[in-house]
Amino acid sequence: MRASALMFTALVYLVAGVPVRAAPPPLQAEQLSVQKLPPPNPHWIYVFDEAFFNEIDARIHLFDGDTYQRLGQIDAGFSPGVNLSPDGATTVVATTYFSRGSRGTRTDVVEFTDNRTLRVTHEIVLPAKRAETVPSLFNVAYSADGHFVYAAYITPAASFGVLDPEHGTVLGEIDTAGCQLVIPSGPNRVSSLCESGRLLTVTLDAQGHEAGRAMSAQFFDTDHDPVFAQGIKSASGYLFVSFLGEVHEVDLSDGQPRFAAPWSLVSPAERGVWRPGGVQLGALQRALGRLYVPMHKGGEGSHKEGGSEIWVFDAGSHRRLARWPVAPLGLAPIVAVQVSQDEAPVLFAATSAADVAVLDARSGRLRHVEKHLGQTPWMMLN
Amino acid sequence: MRSLDRMFEQSSRTLAQRTSRRSLLGALGQLLTGAALLPLLPLARGGRAEAATAQPDVNNPQSCDYWRYCAIDGFLCACCGGSTTSCPPGTVPSPITWIGTCHNPADDRHYMVSYNDCCGKTSCGHCDCNRNEREKPTYRPSRNNDLNWCLANGDDSNYHCSVSVILGVVPPGS
Repeated sequence: MRASALMFTALVYLVAGVPVRAAPPPLQAEQLSVQKLPPPNPHWIYVFDEAFFNEIDARIHLFDGDTYQRLGQIDAGFSPGVNLSPDGATTVVATTYFSRGSRGTRTDVVEFTDNRTLRVTHEIVLPAKRAETVPSLFNVAYSADGHFVYAAYITPAASFGVLDPEHGTVLGEIDTAGCQLVIPSGPNRVSSLCESGRLLTVTLDAQGHEAGRAMSAQFFDTDHDPVFAQGIKSASGYLFVSFLGEVHEVDLSDGQPRFAAPWSLVSPAERGVWRPGGVQLGALQRALGRLYVPMHKGGEGSHKEGGSEIWVFDAGSHRRLARWPVAPLGLAPIVAVQVSQDEAPVLFAATSAADVAVLDARSGRLRHVEKHLGQTPWMMLN
Repeated sequence: MRSLDRMFEQSSRTLAQRTSRRSLLGALGQLLTGAALLPLLPLARGGRAEAATAQPDVNNPQSCDYWRYCAIDGFLCACCGGSTTSCPPGTVPSPITWIGTCHNPADDRHYMVSYNDCCGKTSCGHCDCNRNEREKPTYRPSRNNDLNWCLANGDDSNYHCSVSVILGVVPPGS
């Protein structure tokens, strides 16, 4: 029936004088393949998505801030800690899985992903005491030489695991009672934030065992103006920002931390009115010496609110250079910022609406908004 | 978190992005004077969405404005099959937790509130409520709501939702 119908149609066209259009050549048979990542560039960003509304399914989105393309994904399990190796070649994810998806036997594990292929290369199973908390740079971290990986434990007693990423082994556990998280410095030092407002610094020997420890002087007031449990990486250590906007610069380049005199993001009139807030509440462009902080107007208890503006500071003079309101850009409040460290830097700003904006880090000009880059993008790494 | 929930969440976030919560409440309070037939509006707090009414709903356990939720960060169990003091069926309470202090406008007293998590199932995903009065960072665990307080529940350490159990009155002046 079909053949005769076609012949009839062709005959009608011929009789009517309508030319028969030549059929286009058929599509060629295709080969299924796996996309290879292009060479990395300084504007790649690893966007951590907590997937808070289905929290066993966190992931990391690799996004290109030049082409605005999503390049791939790294799975991250339940309430994970994530970080990059010092050479940027590896993503480390400390996470938890349950044997039946949302239930069953709990397994805590650190997974290593090759950032050239986005395949997990190996893993280290941890004792079931990994810190399950909001993302920070200090839930899991590499030593500066990449020789050790440190994983924060909270049960809620605090300690940390020392791991050998090359051989895939747990080297030991170090008790840090009263102090939490893993702030790495040098090849063998780990500092932790203490309930007393001090820093505990543990020094390791070559086998990853404790060789010594020292407690710093108190450098912030945990009752009246605590620092966020999140750091901003600087050339010599980290900046810690307090709820009221004090900046505590900690130099970790030597054996013991050194604390610069704190300075303020806000004027006396702004203090307690304008506040830093969000999850990743600052980024430092080290060559430009510019510090970017999401700021909002709010009172006590508003420290998790995203910024209605991004404030830009000269990190050397502490002078505020600019205020960039984000609503005129069509952006929801900013909950995380990160900046590239190249000569043409871009600022990434993740919003409470799960968008990620790409801005010129010098001028604040909006280049692109990637809508819904995940569900709850709360931290970005590069 | 699909379809209508998602749309509702996004409208909440869009509304929240331009206005702080207090100013929004004040503005809406004025707007609604003499306009009782206006529909209830979505509202977000802290960038994460939850359903709330146009005026603070301080006595509704399914509203983030409920007075005893002043330092909660998570999904309200009262929206997930439980209540302010009971975990949803099939979940397991966390034996350890963090403590907040909230003011009850009905009797003008401050109460100590225990924000236990309910565990053993994946995120409830409803009534996300993020309030942080007097909350401190994770290095002060007894005052922190960022930790997964299901952490000590062994294989039932998955987080589902949070309750708010009154422990007692805070003595005046303390």
